[in-house]
Amino acid sequence: MTDANTTYAALEVRELSRTFGARKALDGVDLDLPRGAFLSIFGPNGAGKTTLLKILSTLSSPSKGEARVLGLDVVKEAVELRERVGFISHNPLLYPDLSAEENLTFFAELYCVENPAERVTELLRAVELDHRRLDLVSSFSRGMLQRLSIARALLHDPELIFLDEPYSGLDPHAMDILDELIAKIRHEHTFIMVSHDLQKGLELCSHALILAKGKVVLFADKELIDDDEFAATYRSTVGLGVS
Amino acid sequence: MAGPESKKGWLGLSENTWTYGALALGTVLTLADFLAAFLIAPLVLGAGVSQTAIINGIAVSNKLLFSQKIFYFHVPVAISSFLIVFVAGYYSIRFLASREKIYDTKARIGVEVALVFTVLTMITGDLWTRFEWGAWWVWEPRLTTYFIMTLLIIAYFVLRNSIEDEERRAVYAAVWGILIPIDAAISFLITRLIPSSVHPVVLRSGGGLLPTQLIPFLIGLFGMMMIAWVVFRLRMREEIAKERIDVLKSSIEG
Amino acid sequence: MADTTQGVTSSTVRTRPKMSSWRQFKAILTKDIVMELRTKEMITSMGLYSLLVLVVYYLGLSQAGSGFDIELIAAGLLWLAIIFTSMLGLNRSLVHEKDQGCLDALLLSPIDRPVIFFGKAVGNLIFLLIVEAFVVPLFYFFFLTDAEVAGPVWMLLLSLLVGSIGIAGVGTMLATMSVNTKGKDFILAVLFVPLMFPLLYACVAASSAVFLGDVAFADGWVQAYWSALGLAAGYDAAMLLAAFGLYEFIIGA
Repeated sequence: MTDANTTYAALEVRELSRTFGARKALDGVDLDLPRGAFLSIFGPNGAGKTTLLKILSTLSSPSKGEARVLGLDVVKEAVELRERVGFISHNPLLYPDLSAEENLTFFAELYCVENPAERVTELLRAVELDHRRLDLVSSFSRGMLQRLSIARALLHDPELIFLDEPYSGLDPHAMDILDELIAKIRHEHTFIMVSHDLQKGLELCSHALILAKGKVVLFADKELIDDDEFAATYRSTVGLGVS
Repeated sequence: MAGPESKKGWLGLSENTWTYGALALGTVLTLADFLAAFLIAPLVLGAGVSQTAIINGIAVSNKLLFSQKIFYFHVPVAISSFLIVFVAGYYSIRFLASREKIYDTKARIGVEVALVFTVLTMITGDLWTRFEWGAWWVWEPRLTTYFIMTLLIIAYFVLRNSIEDEERRAVYAAVWGILIPIDAAISFLITRLIPSSVHPVVLRSGGGLLPTQLIPFLIGLFGMMMIAWVVFRLRMREEIAKERIDVLKSSIEG
Repeated sequence: MADTTQGVTSSTVRTRPKMSSWRQFKAILTKDIVMELRTKEMITSMGLYSLLVLVVYYLGLSQAGSGFDIELIAAGLLWLAIIFTSMLGLNRSLVHEKDQGCLDALLLSPIDRPVIFFGKAVGNLIFLLIVEAFVVPLFYFFFLTDAEVAGPVWMLLLSLLVGSIGIAGVGTMLATMSVNTKGKDFILAVLFVPLMFPLLYACVAASSAVFLGDVAFADGWVQAYWSALGLAAGYDAAMLLAAFGLYEFIIGA
């Protein structure tokens, strides 16, 4: 059990590959990330960002190589790992026909949270949706869905949180709320985010990664990045204008 | 890289020699079985029936059969198709264990070959029923089970065609590939053990076969299995070549 | 926004709770039941569909003549109705998960995949039994009021239960696949019929024994009933075991 060991890294990835037949989604990725970091992953479509995120969050498994998240192997210790990670996606991952409270209670039960009722209330208050707790999720706005989705992700008090394009489709107000919430829990948590929003990604991150065609193009600590060099690399791989 | 032509297989003979040699041998054996069936093997007292039945207006309790000759072809084909289905199931299991595409390809080709053999089983079985009972179709255990197996195999391809994601397609197909032999075996058991309250149970003579019958039968069985194996290999070669082309294409397109 | 940092992370000392499959199973089952009670999607569509099937039966038999003994095919007709209704209803239970991507949320949680299977399968079994509780009496009312049933009702109900367990279990597994295909309901039917064939054959035999008694089963219908039921139960055991082993692969793909 690695609970008592607080010196493990957030990520230890060695030669991670995911291929099927002729198709190579990831090709020999190496990565190390310390705990408490915020990693932003950039790259063009098809670069393997989603695949990498899926493997690290145990939704998928590698064909070759290995990955340890929070010191746990993503294949062999997947169940234990799932207890410790949370996932926020552009999809809310909530059941529209259930109320906010029912949704959270369901997930709390899945994670076998202690005192689920209390925890659910705690989180509903934290995302300021307590007044809507009995309303069906189908009646929620996009911003509210995202807030509830964050509550869902934090129910089991994960150490590491994956973010898959969390800002996409959000209006500015909702984006602010998400920013605030992330800022609040920034300490003590590690984040790994995939985003097409270069500015947001750079703003939030402590480490940046650019993937293209399943390979690592650039990985660096933000402090050590030369802004122009980064912009140039980003432009040439992702092909988007950078202001 | 040398092609398969020069690859050395067992006993120093090249792969090609083995493959085409087996094809030739298999064909010869099957033909031998066929000829022996008509020229050497004696006529057989046909199937006994559990109760005298009226089929097509004729009272039947037993039949002396020329049509039983089909047995020499039908049963080897039937056994072969059943074996192939199990082989495909084996490759399906290996695919799920390793997730390597080659096993998915092997399973798929296996099921393809099984389809051909199963259809042949159905046709010969149906012809046998026609000649023996005069009816074009009887829901007796073996025919019914083979019909179900045909449906299971067709479902395999329908399932594959309905999924776009390559890997998901392979996983689902592998799951189905494992279920096919399981369900076929269960079907056979259940239709045998539960008598249909309407049709008489057809009991094929289980008694020992004379050597003049057994030998052609075994020869035919062996020949048929060889042919199945050869067809499988040839198709696999085709698929592997296609794969190589695909890999080259994608590395050029980058 | 109020300072809620305290509330968001529950403690500085992280002791992980122990996972309980039973809790997780209950969670999935209750969720499916609550959702179904609220939307009534599955039950109404299955109930209505079975009603339509009965009307179609009448159409099919309307010219068969008054001498026609419907009891001969009653068991078959009943199971037919259940089969068609199931094929329609089973996909619904998986569609929710797929639509909102909730399935990913399930897979990300520390739940064992087979527990997801059991949770969903038991839910489907309950819904199926509810629909049967509606269809069977209705069928009796429409077609069998002056017929003599050879065996006791509980034997018929038992055969329905054994069959329904198989249908729910295998059907849930197949629906998990078919919901991810282009054909959906069509694919479910293509997979369902050949795979379920042995079970349905045994169940029709068992139910027929109850309906027809010695008229059709000269060697003793009670014995025929129990042997058919035993085979059906055997099918259930074998297939549920297979589904249990294979579900992980299906749901993760």
